[in-house]
Amino acid sequence: MRAKKRWIVLFLLPAVILFLLIYAIPLVMVFLTSLFDYRLTGSGMTFVGLKNYVQMFHDPAFRTSLLHTIIWILIHCVLHVALGVALALVLYKKPRGWKFVRTTYMIPNIISNAAVGMIFLNIFNPQYGVVNSILRAVGLERLTHNWLNETATAFPSVTMVWLLFAGYTTTLVLAEALSIDESVLEAAKVDGATGFQMDKFVVLPLLRKIIATTMVMAATYMLQMFDLIYVTTNGGPGKATTNLPLLLYGVYKSENNYGYANTIGVVIILLGAIVMTIINKLFRVNEDDY
Amino acid sequence: MKKRLFAFALLAAMLVGLLSGCGAKKAETPAAEDGVVVINYPTFQCGVNTAAPVVDQLISEFNETYAGKYQIVKEDVPGDANYVDKIKVQLGTGDLPPVIYGAGYNLLDLVIAKDLAVDLTPYVEADPEWKALYSDASLATNSRDGKIYASSVEGSQVGYFYNKELFAQAGIEAPATTWDELFQQCETLKAAGITPMALDTADSAWITQLWWGAMVATASEDGLAFMQTMNPRDYNTPELISTAEKIQKMLQEYTTLDAIGGKYENAANNFLSGQAAMIANGPWMIGDFSDTTKTTADFAEKVGVAIYPDGFVYDAPIQGYIVTKQDDPKLEEAAIEMVKFFTSAHAQQLGLEMQGMVPASPSVEITDYAKEQYPLLAEFLDKASEATVSTDNMQATMFSNLLDVISQELPRLYSGELDAAGFCQAMTDAAAKN
Repeated sequence: MRAKKRWIVLFLLPAVILFLLIYAIPLVMVFLTSLFDYRLTGSGMTFVGLKNYVQMFHDPAFRTSLLHTIIWILIHCVLHVALGVALALVLYKKPRGWKFVRTTYMIPNIISNAAVGMIFLNIFNPQYGVVNSILRAVGLERLTHNWLNETATAFPSVTMVWLLFAGYTTTLVLAEALSIDESVLEAAKVDGATGFQMDKFVVLPLLRKIIATTMVMAATYMLQMFDLIYVTTNGGPGKATTNLPLLLYGVYKSENNYGYANTIGVVIILLGAIVMTIINKLFRVNEDDY
Repeated sequence: MKKRLFAFALLAAMLVGLLSGCGAKKAETPAAEDGVVVINYPTFQCGVNTAAPVVDQLISEFNETYAGKYQIVKEDVPGDANYVDKIKVQLGTGDLPPVIYGAGYNLLDLVIAKDLAVDLTPYVEADPEWKALYSDASLATNSRDGKIYASSVEGSQVGYFYNKELFAQAGIEAPATTWDELFQQCETLKAAGITPMALDTADSAWITQLWWGAMVATASEDGLAFMQTMNPRDYNTPELISTAEKIQKMLQEYTTLDAIGGKYENAANNFLSGQAAMIANGPWMIGDFSDTTKTTADFAEKVGVAIYPDGFVYDAPIQGYIVTKQDDPKLEEAAIEMVKFFTSAHAQQLGLEMQGMVPASPSVEITDYAKEQYPLLAEFLDKASEATVSTDNMQATMFSNLLDVISQELPRLYSGELDAAGFCQAMTDAAAKN
């Protein structure tokens, strides 16, 4: 038994070393350097304690970016996941062509984000974009906008770039729904449950854990969201579409302020941990179904 | 036993794979002969970059001239932004390549801040030929606190191009000589159904900031002083605010809809497709006018070139090659030789004749061959020589974080969400972060 354990430890070693090198040590470094005044233009690193954190909460750009990140997490966890689950429940009934819909709905999710960003740059182009062209064609020229570059429309326009493409959620939830034990559904039928009642009282509760998983995925997707915003608006106009990753990138790249950038990085990590804890608690992920 | 052996072999393979993956591997370079000092030279001037053929030719000539002594090994780093990122990362570790090209990214101040730049002053002073290539402007661009830290090969003379056919359609006979006349021409073009200007706001708004800087430099003595200041901090001045108002007018009334949020490429495309009558840009754009993948075959004949109103032209050498401090003094010597070679009169002339690059030094002759090859460039250089005011462009002197800020705030200036004073305040606030 002891020899077997030794082998297990040995086999885990490469993965553990990789984890330490690629994730654990950099994470510790991120936290440590967030306590320093560390700039490319400076002579070195000066310990400043929590000064970067204090500065951060006085920084309007940080407060705006934090708010945008939280709003996008909420929108994505609620609307995006709800859309994916709703479609999964429709497909679960296996209507005609359900396999075709399931496959085609995944297509936007397998296109690279940079390409999706470019597509939406063209869709929202104020001069020749599809949106404004349609509005002009139906006589609603007064409703045309420079969608991605006006403060009032930029945030919702950028949100639309990813909101509707819930292919991953649909696929995961549908797979879980199709694996529900038929006997449970039969029992509900025998008890006289209607289709809607079966969805509401039997299927959805059984999908609780997978929905929580897709919410965690949606939240982390929004916490990491960078490329789609970078390609479409680069966080503008002003800070209208800046989120925490984009702010971090700007502080690192344009201001060469590595210490402050890592402070923002720590906040992103903490925010992720908080969001995941809330989702796990809300959906009682650690409790058994039956 | 066999199972154990297999498991052990598998584990050993995994560990070897892991360690070889993590192990530092030096860049593969051609084997140098004994005693030859190898200069590894990363550069973004490779591939489709317009300067790539010139750099390749210079490397080839240098390696031939210094055969048996020095050898340059080029490392391609496609994309300016990738190159700047790479140098910044290497700056963080203190392990810089022997030669860096400062280009338009003001890498010099970053290298000096880390005390990694070699003071070239004694070498330049000791070589009259090299010293003669430094104009006052070149000294200003490449020196800090009276010490020369870099050497330029290319100049940046920038005016604007106009579509002669569209001007004729609107009844305009010649480019404007005053700003009032320029705005009047914009009105005339607009009245004739022609979009006067191709502008941009994204990617640091290169074209738009060229117009802004030209207006600032000619607004007053203080405006000119602002344009001559490296890393200015205060944008809240009367001349900057009043000219920002004019930029607002240009964005609102004289350009295409897609200029707001649009990149340089959009603006260039609008000019090249005949949708806009004017575009501010440097001579490197001349090649595009006869590139049939970008425009019509006869477009080059329609293009005229001008300096800005009030006799202004952007005229400043582009920050040049920097030698960085190395542990090996022989490598440092080799790097200095390379920089001297790459910025010599011959190198500047080669750039002019091969790619139409404007020489950094006014003493370099514009040959008949170059004039024949690039007639529009020759015409521009003639006009530029008559300019009465010249400075470097705004982008080259502003703090690097302002490049993003200008892109983010111009759309708000356009929409009226910010007035000119608010826009200048946003620039000042961002400058204060440095």
